[in-house]
Amino acid sequence: MVAFNKVLDGSNGPSGFGVHRHRVVYFVLVGLFILQSGLTYTVSTEAASPAVELNDAAQRGEALYREFNCTACHQFYGLGGHMGPDLTNVTVAAGKGPDFARAVIFHGSGLMPNLAVSKEQADDLVAFLEAVAATGTYPIRSLDLTPWGTYEQMHSDAK
Amino acid sequence: MRSELTPAKGFVISGLLSLLCGALFGVIGSWQHVLPNFVDAIPFVKSRPLHVSLVIAWIFLTAVGGVYHYLPKIVGVPLHSTRLAWLHLAVFIGTGFAVIASYFLGRFGGREYWEFPPALGIPIALSWSLLIYNFFRTANKHKGPWPAYLWMWATGVVFFLITYAEANLYLFPHFTSNMVRELTVQWKAYGALTGSWNLLVYGTAMVVMERSTGNTAIARSKLAYLLFGLGFTNLLFGWAHHIYPVPSALWIRILAYAISMTEWIILARMIHQWRATMEDGKNGSSTLFGRFLFASEVWVFLNLGVALLISIPAINLFAHGTHVIVAHAMGSTIGINTTILFASVFFIGERAHSGPTRAGFWIFNGSLLAFWLCLLGAGIVKGWFTVMTDLPFQKITEKIWPFIAGFAVSGIGLFTGLSLLVWGALKVLLASNNKEEGDAHGTVELDAIPVENRCPSMPEKVMQHQR
Ligand code: HEC
Repeated sequence: MVAFNKVLDGSNGPSGFGVHRHRVVYFVLVGLFILQSGLTYTVSTEAASPAVELNDAAQRGEALYREFNCTACHQFYGLGGHMGPDLTNVTVAAGKGPDFARAVIFHGSGLMPNLAVSKEQADDLVAFLEAVAATGTYPIRSLDLTPWGTYEQMHSDAK
Repeated sequence: MRSELTPAKGFVISGLLSLLCGALFGVIGSWQHVLPNFVDAIPFVKSRPLHVSLVIAWIFLTAVGGVYHYLPKIVGVPLHSTRLAWLHLAVFIGTGFAVIASYFLGRFGGREYWEFPPALGIPIALSWSLLIYNFFRTANKHKGPWPAYLWMWATGVVFFLITYAEANLYLFPHFTSNMVRELTVQWKAYGALTGSWNLLVYGTAMVVMERSTGNTAIARSKLAYLLFGLGFTNLLFGWAHHIYPVPSALWIRILAYAISMTEWIILARMIHQWRATMEDGKNGSSTLFGRFLFASEVWVFLNLGVALLISIPAINLFAHGTHVIVAHAMGSTIGINTTILFASVFFIGERAHSGPTRAGFWIFNGSLLAFWLCLLGAGIVKGWFTVMTDLPFQKITEKIWPFIAGFAVSGIGLFTGLSLLVWGALKVLLASNNKEEGDAHGTVELDAIPVENRCPSMPEKVMQHQR
């Protein structure tokens, strides 16, 4: 009980965030976080080429992609739902392409429902998918591993 | 004496109901992978966000309920304002219903993964500010250095708001006009948002352990602060292990890789301590909450192991975009978060539990293990065929079908276990003549807890796993 009270009134030695040193570490971390956020919002995610910036049609398509909740079933760069295929490169993949994508979006296919998308909306969605395809390649099929446990493409695709 | 309804209990009860509904939509969503027209009235585009938002609501409603419940006892003064806490709850529940209604009307946020029409984020943020205000006005009265869990909570409540605001940056075209930026910032925000509710949950685990064992030294030890610091660093800088394939600047991803690897220290520490606990023959399973705490340690161990492996880019190459990631997400939110929160709920309303509740514990954990293994299996098969072959998506889907069917079947078991537990918890929380933990005022009375009810588990094992 005595020991317990000692802990409560802080006379129990040097642990605890009351200690100046710990507070400094904490706020240095927060400062680095702010710096890292600033870089991530700007230079570190800069578009590599104009094709990567979304034009008006692609931006409308992006909003539609959210509105129809396509992400419930689809992924970009492996991020998103799992019921349907990854769409990063669908408009440039061998045997697929923009017209194929437009047809699937417009009519549905297999587990992909017909979402009653209009013709104009389907065009905007395809413009969006084309802009996404311009950002890079996914899935990655090369097995060039480095001694550091990374893979070559992670380094070469960096902007 | 009928136990009084407090805002804390209001949060926990809402959380339990939210879990039950969320799990039901989960069952519907999983079966829609197996039987395409299952429950036509709620198609997958709706069942998925209903499931995700409701189960996430369970996590933070119950974690917040725990903060409101334990904080005054820890500090030894009443909550700064009970009225504000009620207001917080009322706004949350109101907004929750609005979110559910918007999904049924086909209005989505349309991003991953805690998403709804952005206007509904405003009441959530405002009411969360009430929590922050109430928390600091109460916690500031704490005498002496803060134990690690108060720092975890303080960081958790503040970073929840910061990262939630960040998750809404997409409303500015600067962020959406470039998909690399949109994806990067989206996963930065959600990675850290998850980290911040994890801090609330792990802080709660420490509190339950402290209050049940009466050992107040652990949460004030150097090691506790060190592990908190490591976890906090992972929250701030580790998020980019989710986006190795996204072509953002290399340093973002390499930094995340390096930071993630510091978690091996935590894993090694856990194994070390675990062996010590096992040798002592103590596993804290004499009470229901003790069992839950012990189960959460097992889940931390399994999940941290998988998480560490998939944070290595060469392995991530195969696991990314597959059900291995789903297994990891389910293992953390169900295996770790939900198990800890049940420990807290059954600690708040502590008394003898009926057979069905105890059965619920085993059904829940057993089904979760099957569920988790099926997802891992599906993910490994999918990852292998995606990277090593050109097999089309449809063919890969056929190959993983048995695992997906197993996942959907074990999901029903999981739902059954959860229902029994929710039922048992509601009975305890609403019962009259409730012998509650809440009857002790202030930490000093910890000594009054009989030794046989104490849980000898070690808090630092579960406190750090910020994913
Ligand atoms: C309920 C889940 C679901 C939703 C929602 C959904 N899809 Fe699909 N989608 C699928 C499935 C499953 C496939 C694979 C179809 C098949 O097997 O023939 C698919 C296929 C596609 C394809 C062809 C991809 C390929 O590589 O073969 C495109 C393009 C596509 N969807 C775009 C969209 C867009 C755009 C939206 C939103 C407007 C959307 N989908 C909404 C499930 C969905």
